[in-house]
Amino acid sequence: MEYVNPEGLRLDGRRPMEMRQLRAEIGVVSRADGSASFEMGNTKVIAAVYGPREVQNRSQQMNDQALVRCEYSMANFSTGDRRRKTKGDRRSTEISLVIRQTMEACILTNLMPRSQIDIYVQVLQADGGTRSACINAATLALADAGIPMRDLVTSCSAGYLNSTPLLDLNYLEDSAGGADVTVGILPKLDKVTLLQMDAKLPMDIFENVMQLAVEGCKAVDSYIREILLENTKTLEIHRGV
Amino acid sequence: MVGLSVGEKNFIKGGIAQDLRNDGRKRLTYRPIYVETGVIPQANGSARVKLGETDVIASVKAELGKPRVSHPDQGKVYIYVECSPTAEPSFERRGGDELSTELSIALERSLLGGKSGAGAGINPASLLIKEGKVCWDLYVDCLVISSDGNLLDALGAAIKAALSNTGIPRVQVREAASSDEQADVDVSDEEFLQFDTSGVPVIVTLTKVGRHYIVDATSEEESLMSSAVSISVNRHGMICGLTKRGGAGLDPSVILDMISVAKHVSEQLLNKLDSEIEAAERANEEEP
Amino acid sequence: MASKTGSTPATYSPSPATHKKKRIPIADVDWVRPDSRGFYQCRPAYLRTGAVSPAAGSAYAEFGNTKVIVSVFGPRESKKAMMYSDTGRLNCDVSYTTFATPNRGQGSDKKELSSMLHKALEGAIILESFPKTCVDVFALVLESGGSDLPVVISCASLALADAGILLYDLVASVSVSCVGKNLVIDPVSEEESYNDGSLMITCMPSRNQVTQLIVDGEWSTPKIHDAMELCLGACSKLGEVMRSCLKDVVTDLKE
Repeated sequence: MEYVNPEGLRLDGRRPMEMRQLRAEIGVVSRADGSASFEMGNTKVIAAVYGPREVQNRSQQMNDQALVRCEYSMANFSTGDRRRKTKGDRRSTEISLVIRQTMEACILTNLMPRSQIDIYVQVLQADGGTRSACINAATLALADAGIPMRDLVTSCSAGYLNSTPLLDLNYLEDSAGGADVTVGILPKLDKVTLLQMDAKLPMDIFENVMQLAVEGCKAVDSYIREILLENTKTLEIHRGV
Repeated sequence: MVGLSVGEKNFIKGGIAQDLRNDGRKRLTYRPIYVETGVIPQANGSARVKLGETDVIASVKAELGKPRVSHPDQGKVYIYVECSPTAEPSFERRGGDELSTELSIALERSLLGGKSGAGAGINPASLLIKEGKVCWDLYVDCLVISSDGNLLDALGAAIKAALSNTGIPRVQVREAASSDEQADVDVSDEEFLQFDTSGVPVIVTLTKVGRHYIVDATSEEESLMSSAVSISVNRHGMICGLTKRGGAGLDPSVILDMISVAKHVSEQLLNKLDSEIEAAERANEEEP
Repeated sequence: MASKTGSTPATYSPSPATHKKKRIPIADVDWVRPDSRGFYQCRPAYLRTGAVSPAAGSAYAEFGNTKVIVSVFGPRESKKAMMYSDTGRLNCDVSYTTFATPNRGQGSDKKELSSMLHKALEGAIILESFPKTCVDVFALVLESGGSDLPVVISCASLALADAGILLYDLVASVSVSCVGKNLVIDPVSEEESYNDGSLMITCMPSRNQVTQLIVDGEWSTPKIHDAMELCLGACSKLGEVMRSCLKDVVTDLKE
């Protein structure tokens, strides 16, 4: 199947180095301490952060840092065919773990000992790149909750089909069987916190694809900063500054 | 769920007794309803309803299936509610299961009518393709994103909006060789039949706080309730389902009074909801 | 070897009549109920307490073909003893035996009955009388002959009384089905599966308070009014029957 046609356009009309359209909104769940919704093309994700709050399970309490917990769930209607088992399956557990480890690395947990921070991510629509959308949404939600972080974590995925590195794969391209590299970075510190890959790639091509994904992350980062800046301006107006 | 001090509780109760609630509403006024349809493009129909801070999404998917042996002339409808942990931290993992089951059953009762299918908001006979062989299975999936009280009303409104946004593909049945085989069905991708939602009821929950009833309680008011009755009323003023939640006992005359109040309130709610759904559909069409 | 054909018994073949399911002729105005009761006549109730000896309290109820046994354990130590609560906790579980329904294992879809039983009973129990502990109510439906939940609720409240748990009042429960234009009280499973609507009331007779009300199907207000009155009358009679059953136990003990 042809994923990049001879003119250089992909299945949805994008160029190989072009990301899908991004849309983010802060404060969608009023009850949460911080929340955000993030859309990458057709992938829609909502993240809600509850914390820092008292640890529910005394045995897990840590005296010198905060406990970070995460749960990833997909709605029944998020995929094309209706899913029956949405919670507790292996993929959800794995992605919950991945998001937790990524966010834990950037939150300044030693500033909030003996407390717990819960990050809940709910996928409303899945069209490839859910992992990245979840991490981006979680970053925004944590920023909305005012939790101190080293830097924003942004994430993007890239792949390699028809001998072309492609940025931000959608579901069709992802299920094509080619490589899928997901990268999460701390942009200002220029450090990689998450790197996952499926399938196999030769080393030099892998470097290209990873570089492409890192560029994608930086683009997401500038978008997120814009959104946060607008949000801050709105808050200032409400406070009458 | 919501921790209130004794002073706050008295404040809310006293306010309700004087027909003035915390956000300035009267006892029988709903919060502003905001409806958006077509939010899930891959489903046959979907809607998102915001009732104040309560936010729910409903999606309708139609799949081909076989009718039940006991009712060969009807399609099947399944309603399933999921409570996302984003709404409430206690919903993570299995925590939200009890509430989800309760809501699913209350919705099924309100919308699917009696066992024979009479009085159903969704007419199962309209889902039939070929008697005894092929029918549509409607899966209505709801997700609670944010909860600030009155989930049942919001879910009922979301399902009504999602159904009016639903398009069932047109099917042509190719005659099978022998009567035992699965009939071949051609599902058309182009043409869609709009669902008829004039019979779909709307759910009104009346919460009893002290000696008065309020409509559309927030989660603070719900934590004070002695009992609540959810009544589903359709356009013709017929009661399509009733569930009493909450432990305290109620006098039968009080219940009958609640039913008449619910009928009165449901007329306004139906009109408001219909106009919101129409506005949402028009906004959908105007978009490129 | 010659086969003994002469003494082979005829094999059993099920009679064809058992497979046919007759639809109730609802268009018939004066159709007779399967067990030839009147429309407003309940089934005779057989109630006994003390059916399960290791339990703190128990009861067995037989309403026609619906047979239910309920046992109550408690007040005993709560598993979630970490959380202090100044009211007691009630834990209900309703399960069906695999042979309860005509088709094996059909009862496993009825998971919501546990939460409905919980809601019906929590209004009648004085929870403040046993703080930090919990009371477990386990109901087992031995045979499902229609109107299962009302029988379970009535039997459970009898078992609670037998266990000595403080109650505001006994809880009696009755359901009514609407078949065609007729209201039929205490339906059998045939009538239930073809009904156009059903109404179930759980009430405390001497306090005249309704603890649970479940309606499905399409009803007009006067019809609901009639159905409620019918049910409440039946509930108070059932309450008297339950009381006399408890009194009998006490008089037996005295003798």
